[in-house]
Amino acid sequence: MKLKDQFRFIRQNMKKNRMRVFMTILASAMSVAFLIVLASVAFGLHDTVIKDTIESPEVTQIEVAGKDTGNGNAESLTNQNITEIEALDGVNAVTRAKQIRQETRYVTDGYEINTQTVQSHFPSMENAGIELGEGSFPETKDEVAVGYHFALNLLKDDVADEDIEYGEDGHLIPEQRFSGEIIGQTFDLEFKRMEDGEEIAETVPVTVTGVLEKPGREWAWDQKVYITDEKLAELEAITGTSKAMLTDPSEAGEDIGYDTATVYADDLEAVKSVMTSLEEEGYYVYSIVSEMGQINTLFNIAKAGLIFIGTIAILIASIGIFNTMTMAVTERAPDIGIMKAIGASPKVIKRIFLLESTYIGLVGAVIGIAVSYVISIGVNLALPMILETAFDEELPAGLQFSSIPFTLVLIAVVICLAVTMLSGLRPAKRATEIDVLKAMRREI
Amino acid sequence: MIEINQLSHQFVLGKKGQQSRLDVLKNISLHVAEGEIVSIVGRSGSGKSTLLNLISGFIRPTEGEIIILDEKVSEFTEEEFAEFRLKNMGFIFQSFQLIPSMTAYENIELPLILKGMSEQARKQMTLDMLKTVGLENFKDHYPSELSGGQQQRVSIARALVLEPPLILADEPTGSLDSETEADLLAFIKKLNKERGITFVIITHDDEVAKIGDRTIEIADGELVRSGVFV
Repeated sequence: MKLKDQFRFIRQNMKKNRMRVFMTILASAMSVAFLIVLASVAFGLHDTVIKDTIESPEVTQIEVAGKDTGNGNAESLTNQNITEIEALDGVNAVTRAKQIRQETRYVTDGYEINTQTVQSHFPSMENAGIELGEGSFPETKDEVAVGYHFALNLLKDDVADEDIEYGEDGHLIPEQRFSGEIIGQTFDLEFKRMEDGEEIAETVPVTVTGVLEKPGREWAWDQKVYITDEKLAELEAITGTSKAMLTDPSEAGEDIGYDTATVYADDLEAVKSVMTSLEEEGYYVYSIVSEMGQINTLFNIAKAGLIFIGTIAILIASIGIFNTMTMAVTERAPDIGIMKAIGASPKVIKRIFLLESTYIGLVGAVIGIAVSYVISIGVNLALPMILETAFDEELPAGLQFSSIPFTLVLIAVVICLAVTMLSGLRPAKRATEIDVLKAMRREI
Repeated sequence: MIEINQLSHQFVLGKKGQQSRLDVLKNISLHVAEGEIVSIVGRSGSGKSTLLNLISGFIRPTEGEIIILDEKVSEFTEEEFAEFRLKNMGFIFQSFQLIPSMTAYENIELPLILKGMSEQARKQMTLDMLKTVGLENFKDHYPSELSGGQQQRVSIARALVLEPPLILADEPTGSLDSETEADLLAFIKKLNKERGITFVIITHDDEVAKIGDRTIEIADGELVRSGVFV
């Protein structure tokens, strides 16, 4: 018997009891829609989180905290390490910094600020694609760049400590802070050195050539001053200590490593291979991508859980299919008997009933998928509006509550088909066991 | 065509644990030649219907063997018997056994569908068969819209459509009036002559039995007479 004819049979049979078949399809459709919509929330939120991470500039960055010395201890990165890392495939640039080991003070005409000083490798910053908010990267020894919040905290020197006021943004009020053009401004960099147990004040000139961009995070605060390698060398020469440490040169140890180093991979795909290479070399690394792995695991667990709950709904609907098919077999027993008598093989009878239950499941799944998409679109449109109205809070841009990827549709269809086929199996087997003579209600 | 050797059959009666066995057929041996019309007669409960059920493969014998067209069908699996029936056997039932939700055309087409024939070939063969039984104008009628005689002709058309070499008929005239009965018997005779189809007819009606080349009488499960009816 051809498949086409089997389907014709199925349609004819289904027409005999339209209401019952319709209700069964409805139950299947509702269960599939329930599964998809439920799981789509996990898919939607996962997509939002991943998209947010992938779109952030930090996604290609790998922080290198140090290198394993072989005995479980870590040592900070040296220039040799940096050269090794830069030679790795997929590495675009390695920015690195050394922090001055004492508090520094910057003074200009009538203004002053106490802040940290950091030596930065500006060429690698440029290579990494880091852009300044204003001005240009320092090139000569006396040139420096300052953090975005530097000027906002550059205090007038005639304001007494007890009169200092801060605005709502946490920075100095406009009346007490520098309001001129920071680019081109020359400062005295005041620091100290130790000689025979006494602190001696030193001053070197610096000129601001650039201001860094505002930090990405709302809460981040950057009022540091970034100096060149040459400037650090000058400070070290004056203090006689590594990183201008405020210690007697005779007592100071050698500390030449970088405090921070960040590897910029060429792209997202390269991050993993670069990280693997670095880890193999014994570097301690961290990347937001490793966090993504944990996020993925968490969301995948959530997705599996929700799909499992949805499957229970499909299992409940399958009871309806089982009932419908059992009724169908009972009602059609005389017809089945006649068909068997004239030569229909048990295999064909079984296949017809299995196909019928699968057909019901498939039609239900298709309707369920269509309904799920409508619900998903509706939820994505309506829920942000409702939440914004209810909580009077703006939701993050690009937030997606519900997302139905093709894989979810595929999972739902496979589960639905498997469950409906299983529920049709027993009735189909019963159909093949129908006794010809009993079915025809008489013996020939 | 049909070779039956020492065939016996028992029915198991009663509830489980309190079962008894009833001998319905006892040691029957017979032979039906190709192109023959054989009538099997006997009283109600004699076992003639059981014999036909065994030949049809609807039930399995307790003992003995049945050989049809050189195939030992008594050893067939259900699947094999279904295929054999479709290919080699046609059935005419007393109560026609048409599928009520199918038209005359669809009922006749059913064996062709089961055989997996193309729609075009099916159409031609079904229409030819409708013509043969004189029901070309009733092709879209459902069984409930046909007379008893017309329904039996649809049933015969369904039995003949695959041109099987053997037709098993159970009281084929049981639900028909005498005029229609005569027409049907003449038609069976004609098919036997023109197409050489072998008929095994179960009946308790002597007039019907007379169309057979040979008559076999069964009483209490035993073959009591086999020969030309006089």
